[in-house]
Amino acid sequence: MFTKPQIHLASIFIKIFYRDRQSLFFSLLFPLIFTCIFLFSGGEPNPTKLGLVNQSENELSLKFVELVKKEKSFLVKEGSELELKEELIAADQTAIIIIPKNFNEFPDPGMLRLLLDASQVRQVGAIRDSLEAVLLSIERDIRNIEPMFSLQLEDVKSRPQRYIDFLLPGILAYMLMNLCIAGSGFNIVEYRRRGILKRLFVTPIQPKDFIISIVLARMFIIMMQLSVILGLAIGLLKINIVGGLVPLYGVILFGAFIFLCVGFFLGSLAKTQESIRPLVLLFTFPQLILSGIFFPISYLPGLIQPIASGLPLSVIASTMRNIANDGGALFAINFNFFGIVFWAFFSFFIATKFFVWQKVAS
Amino acid sequence: MSIIKAINLEKHYPNPENPGKTFAAVNAINLTINAGEIFGLLGPNGAGKTSTLEMLEGLSAIDNGEVFVDNIDVKNDPYEVKKIIGVQLQSNEYFDRLNLSDLLILFANLYSVSIDPRALLAKVDLENKIHALPDDLSGGQKQRFSIACALVNNPKILFLDEPTTGLDPQAKRNLWNLVKELNEEGMTIVLTTHNMEEAEYLCNRIAIMDKGSIIAQDTPQQLILDFAPDPHETPTQGNIEDVFLALTGHGLRD
Repeated sequence: MFTKPQIHLASIFIKIFYRDRQSLFFSLLFPLIFTCIFLFSGGEPNPTKLGLVNQSENELSLKFVELVKKEKSFLVKEGSELELKEELIAADQTAIIIIPKNFNEFPDPGMLRLLLDASQVRQVGAIRDSLEAVLLSIERDIRNIEPMFSLQLEDVKSRPQRYIDFLLPGILAYMLMNLCIAGSGFNIVEYRRRGILKRLFVTPIQPKDFIISIVLARMFIIMMQLSVILGLAIGLLKINIVGGLVPLYGVILFGAFIFLCVGFFLGSLAKTQESIRPLVLLFTFPQLILSGIFFPISYLPGLIQPIASGLPLSVIASTMRNIANDGGALFAINFNFFGIVFWAFFSFFIATKFFVWQKVAS
Repeated sequence: MSIIKAINLEKHYPNPENPGKTFAAVNAINLTINAGEIFGLLGPNGAGKTSTLEMLEGLSAIDNGEVFVDNIDVKNDPYEVKKIIGVQLQSNEYFDRLNLSDLLILFANLYSVSIDPRALLAKVDLENKIHALPDDLSGGQKQRFSIACALVNNPKILFLDEPTTGLDPQAKRNLWNLVKELNEEGMTIVLTTHNMEEAEYLCNRIAIMDKGSIIAQDTPQQLILDFAPDPHETPTQGNIEDVFLALTGHGLRD
């Protein structure tokens, strides 16, 4: 299947990678830091810091305070308005609730005031929803009525969904992209600049031998690197890959193919190390922001969501997440599947169209 | 018996001074190199020596004309040609973090052959550097290692592109001896050089190139007889440098 020169050259690329302790360290550092952060924080975001000023000090307000304190998403601190405001300005509190003196006067109770930092837009909704739920519960108590409707949340996946479950597939996909681009694009430019490609080209190996060797070596390196992170996540963070490791590695292989092709394309376009850096950044940076690595794509403005969903990193990360969290299949016919197929063909087309061996070697 | 035959060989590159146009780096040259000889390509910078060499090696596309190396058509079958030749390039860069032994084994594998790296390094007097990295070698050692890399497939023809550029006299003399030894073992050697002394000392025959054309081709002795100033007219004894300057002029080249 593979020739002796192809296998030997691939083994040399692997040897070079693993002898370069510095790049080995840095390729694992970023995902390892993330894994450790979640290991020590329990994998959940910190609760919202909520200041509470009780100007009323009556039975009703005390009950309100008690119920708010029970909310797991809040870390409540009671104090004076002046003191808590200073903390809010210093960003030590996210919001302050002020219970007015006339909180228990019916039928016209005083209005609760919520002071907050307007820049924390995303948290406002969550805080308001929780407070409204507490107020509704108190109101029912006072009016002595039972709730007419109830909503019971049932997790169809029958397991807790933590932030790390969401994050890990994205981190793996991002790592995959970086390893591929660095291994093909940057290497080609560097080997060409130093005349190493020309040295290889005086031997009887052909362009396909060189490309196959790089692809084989990178596939191996990627599998090893991602397995380290995945192993730590499964072992230490109790991550459960619901869909199984085989389909997950299948997506990783497809992803590696796409990003290696993009790397070959970028490496063929760029003439120097200086010019490949901005080209690579142009490709990777928007995807880091838009591909749903750290937060769901649905958080993005509606206008750019369709574009963001179709990016190569998005389709790879979403498919990995789907397999890891929801037990999805590798070849499930959905948007991401077509996305992967499209990017595989498109990236292969541009890589072969622009990768001119003679120019690369000379 | 000829081992390399080039007929009306041409190479064109885009003309940087006249966008859209090309210039002939090699202009319809004819060459015949005999088996077992050391053949020198001489010329000032930009004369077309390296372009010619790269076409003979199958490294660069032939725009016009034909080249046969050991009766193999380079244009149709460059990979077959590469199997029987060894090439030492001007640049001496290799993969990082591989020592001399790793690199020789790598190059041997690219030809699908097995070698004893220690024996090959001994041949170029680098046996004690087997675990060294190329960056740790001196200029002369790097050139000798570069020749060792070109010998991994035991080639019929060895191409050397300016092998002694930048070397001190001792390293230069050492490399000349190595080239002579390889030639005495039966290897045909084709080299380019700026060094007249080198051409005169090493080469059985010389072709002098200028502006993409071969302007003279013969043995060093015959070229001196034909082109060096007459010793009766000038007090200087003629040598191959006199021939070179008489043919290509004294003007500086880039």
